[in-house]
Amino acid sequence: MNDNDHARWNEEVAAYMLGALEPEQAAALERHAEGCERCQAEMRWLTAAVDAIPDSIERVEPLPELRARLMAEVRADVRPVQARPPKRRWLLRPAIGFAALALLVAAVLGYAIGGDSGGGGGDSTIVAGKAPDITAEMVNEGDSGTLRLANVHQLPNDEVLQAWVQRDGEVEAVPALFVPDHKGRASTQLPDMEGVEVVMVTAEPKGGSEEPTSEPLITIPTS
Amino acid sequence: MTAERDRAERLADEELMPLIGAKDPEAFEVFYDRHGGVAYSLAYRIVGERGAAEDVTQEAFISIWRSGARFDRARGSVRSWMLSIVRNRAIDMLRSRAGKAPKLAFDDDAVLEQRPSEELTEEEAMRRETAGEVRDALGGLPGEQAKVLELAYFGGFSQSEISRMLGVPLGTVKGRMRLGLEKIRGELAEGLT
Repeated sequence: MNDNDHARWNEEVAAYMLGALEPEQAAALERHAEGCERCQAEMRWLTAAVDAIPDSIERVEPLPELRARLMAEVRADVRPVQARPPKRRWLLRPAIGFAALALLVAAVLGYAIGGDSGGGGGDSTIVAGKAPDITAEMVNEGDSGTLRLANVHQLPNDEVLQAWVQRDGEVEAVPALFVPDHKGRASTQLPDMEGVEVVMVTAEPKGGSEEPTSEPLITIPTS
Repeated sequence: MTAERDRAERLADEELMPLIGAKDPEAFEVFYDRHGGVAYSLAYRIVGERGAAEDVTQEAFISIWRSGARFDRARGSVRSWMLSIVRNRAIDMLRSRAGKAPKLAFDDDAVLEQRPSEELTEEEAMRRETAGEVRDALGGLPGEQAKVLELAYFGGFSQSEISRMLGVPLGTVKGRMRLGLEKIRGELAEGLT
């Protein structure tokens, strides 16, 4: 690498540190910096300046409810949920029937939740909800998926949302619990969608359940 | 206070991350108590609404909870990593709102509750002192340098976008960014001597 080459990249370092390069420019600079000690040193030097910028703004403390909501979600996540409970057939037939109807309704209405639905380029299925006003979007990406809900009512402090999947007619718990935010939006990752026919969400006691203990708030057919 | 919480409070951020990666809620709670305020302030500064700032902060911290093990110590401090997550999510939210322009003034009138003074730790007190120096440094920047830093950091605009917005050559924007950051860095270095 000659000095001209280095100088060309080095003049981009400040913009890079501020996140002001286009993604392809940033990637190119990162490739250059991997072999350029001077650019690395410049980045290290400027890191402190960039990190200090948030300290320049006036502190605005979040409401205690944010901490409580966050910790409820975290503690709900802690208790391990059995990934594949014993075989159990559970309430799915009527749920599937309703979900199919809901899918038809959604297709007719062309309704979607959120402004960024479909992000990530996966297949998207949008279904109206069983519980009043709840809507859901299921985005599949490879063998995993993301479930996004909207208009979920606020849960009591001792309840969380839990997702379930049906494979070969068997209901399995998804090992992640979640709660709605203050706008009633909630999302969770479904790590293994292979062979899943239906996704459901129920309200469960804090810590989750090994099998559903209430009727689904929403049921989403995936195939 | 539980023994677990007490133990977690004695640990540095970098030592908390493996515990958070192992799903230790007390470690996470300590981490949030240390950084939730600055994270929320940054989110609020970018998105300009309390509810949206809460959503950004919650999403960012849940992301950290679920991916704490992915923190790479070689790439900087935990605080820096956390703030970049908050900033990226806030900028994403800003961009998703069509026609919503970022706030552009450094002085922010929306100072609401302040943390009670008895909760100030020595580290926090030092950080606030540093914050004062940074505010002075930012305030002392020529207006055109402060503006490009603000548009980039809080507005999420690229240098090309800033060039077009301000109607100045791209090279000028690059120069103002560099000079602005170097001045802040210089002030920080002076503050340490």
